[in-house]
Amino acid sequence: MSAPARTRIPQRTPEAARPRRARRAIADASWTFLLPFVLVYGAFLGWPLLSGLWISFTDLALNGAGGDFVGTDNYAEALGDPLVWQTVGNTAFFTLITTVPLIVIALAMAVLVHAGLPGQWLWRLAFFMPFLLPVTTVALVWDYLYNDDFGLFNQVLGVFGGDGLGWLTDENVAMWSVAAATVWWTVGFNFLLYLAALQSVPDHLYEAAALDGAGAWARLRYVTLPQLRTVTVVVILLQVLASLKVFDQIYLLTMGGPGDSTRSLLLYIYDLGFTGYRIGYSSAVSYLFLAIVLVIAAVQVWIAMRRKA
Amino acid sequence: MPSSPVPEPPPRPPSPVSRRSILLGGGALALGAAAAGCTPGGATPAGRTPVRFWSLFQGGDGARAETMYAAVEEQAPHLAIEPTTLAWGPPYYTKLAMASVGGRAPETAIMHLSRLPGYAPGGLLEPFDLDLLAEFGVTPDDFVPDLWRRGEYDDGVYAVPLDTHPFIVFYDTELADSAGLLDTDGRLRPIRSDRELVEASRALAEAGGGNGISFGYVNDDSQGWRLFWNLYSQTGAELRLPEGGPAELDHDAALRVYRLLAELFDGGTSPAGQSYQTALAGFADGRSGMLLTGEWELPYLQDSVENLGAAPFPTVFEQPGSYADSHAFVLPRQNDPDPERVRAAHEFVALMLRNSMTWGEAGHLPAYRPVGESEEYLSLSPQADYAAAAENPVLDPPSWFAGAGSTFHTDMTDTVRTALTGAGPEAAVEQLAEALDSWVVRENPTVGGTS
Repeated sequence: MSAPARTRIPQRTPEAARPRRARRAIADASWTFLLPFVLVYGAFLGWPLLSGLWISFTDLALNGAGGDFVGTDNYAEALGDPLVWQTVGNTAFFTLITTVPLIVIALAMAVLVHAGLPGQWLWRLAFFMPFLLPVTTVALVWDYLYNDDFGLFNQVLGVFGGDGLGWLTDENVAMWSVAAATVWWTVGFNFLLYLAALQSVPDHLYEAAALDGAGAWARLRYVTLPQLRTVTVVVILLQVLASLKVFDQIYLLTMGGPGDSTRSLLLYIYDLGFTGYRIGYSSAVSYLFLAIVLVIAAVQVWIAMRRKA
Repeated sequence: MPSSPVPEPPPRPPSPVSRRSILLGGGALALGAAAAGCTPGGATPAGRTPVRFWSLFQGGDGARAETMYAAVEEQAPHLAIEPTTLAWGPPYYTKLAMASVGGRAPETAIMHLSRLPGYAPGGLLEPFDLDLLAEFGVTPDDFVPDLWRRGEYDDGVYAVPLDTHPFIVFYDTELADSAGLLDTDGRLRPIRSDRELVEASRALAEAGGGNGISFGYVNDDSQGWRLFWNLYSQTGAELRLPEGGPAELDHDAALRVYRLLAELFDGGTSPAGQSYQTALAGFADGRSGMLLTGEWELPYLQDSVENLGAAPFPTVFEQPGSYADSHAFVLPRQNDPDPERVRAAHEFVALMLRNSMTWGEAGHLPAYRPVGESEEYLSLSPQADYAAAAENPVLDPPSWFAGAGSTFHTDMTDTVRTALTGAGPEAAVEQLAEALDSWVVRENPTVGGTS
């Protein structure tokens, strides 16, 4: 106990001073390495975050008019704005109907490919390829497929005597159509994560299970899936965040219609600010969105912590 | 370099422009743009005055506009036109507003006349110098007074119209003929009432194709509103949208309109919930005999429909009226306007107007009367057949929130969807009244103390 106390005595011997000076030199140098990042982070995240928060308390317009402090008026208006709640609901619905298939289908594809389907490279390529397409291409292709009149889906339905669906023009169907296009487009990424995780499951676990008489199903159920738990948590986290910020494919496919049935919260925020010119109000709505995302993130962290404990 | 002596005003026939000269012109534009990029704020090294021009002319419109730039540069070689074409719709107006706010806007730009009430009061535009315009041969008398007046705000003229682009009907002459809808000249017989329109639709559906009338509006920004407003104006009813409210809407008139639409687009004779592209494609493929849309589809339809006819929107209620908007030139606000460039912009606008015969070929009705009333224009077919639509143009109600590419249009279009594929005409009237009431009490965000 006395030894450490002695080092704190301010009698500096050259031997004691050297490491401290070295440490300080490292601390000084570390700032120069950190500085570029801190500057960029501050300029492009920190400052906008603060400035946006301030704007959300003003009635600033896109053309620079207004800008007076209005207190919490914008927030009060947002909480009473039915379209805010509807678009929050739409976003949540979209998140739900994309996240589940994006995990289940990705897992199924990964397990099938890992199980040794012939021509593995082809499957891997085919499943991952759509993810490489830019969203505009995806939207153009699916817009054609979904066309009421000459689209592939309705043509096929027509062959079987069906009436055809308003894939993007029926408000009960449109969100499902957008979700299906999204799943096709992005499932490849999750597939890749799962495939990598599958390949890192140690073989001896399967050997041990086989020795205990486990069949293919039991090996999947009791070895593979538990081993994938960590990557599943990561996939869910990434997927929920990606789905919450949905904008591009909806903007390109339906512009939020028919009615407001596919309008996501981000699309509404964009409309308010950039089409409606109400930057102050749209900032307030986006900070409400931030609050929602923070709550979701907190819940996820809490679940992760509990599991570890 | 100062601009050249004033050219004489009489409208010149548009010089037929060869592909080569367009390419050369394009090359010159590119060079001009590059040069301007090197020396912002100054004349180009060649001594030409740059005129930056923003438009939303894509597709066939864009090609016609390119021809016009080339013609203007030929007639005024001291102008270096630097056109920028941006996508149609809400993003265009966002960009234009932002450019004005930044103070480094282009010298001139295109704006829908219906958007002016949302722009002029916010200080985003500069008024035209009428003396300067007159110097280049364009005066207010050259325009239909109603149209010209829509460009005025306070004491200034903020917009000079290039065209009127009305909502019209396109029809397939062969299908219309077998449906017995043509007169002895092979033109669409006048449709004089809502009954006659419904009957025409049934006759067209029976004549072939399977669909009577095509109309696409689902997921479109404006199309539903255009048709609704067109028909509503024909009832003679008023719609007043005083700021602060209440909105004065004639509920009965609105109901008549929605009921007629529901009868026409009943899902049997004609599809009820088509998207813009589907309706266009269906008509182009000959699967419907008539298409309700704007004349801006003329270049595409001329290429794809062999027997194309066009007519003004029929007067099915009490008085004639055609929904229309107008592409107009505006001068976005600049922090530090260069008088030489301002002068060049005026000259550019005047020359574009005087070359607007090319514009008429694209289907639009030239607003500049020396062109629009010229024999050359009136001999264009089918343009001449619907030119009468310009006589009763019905523009958006003058309000800061209305106009092309506005959220207001999207809201209004949704009421048509309610009438046709949702809860029905009565519910649509209710939705319309509610939407209008909520719009009139909103404050124009672009006006007010600039911080």
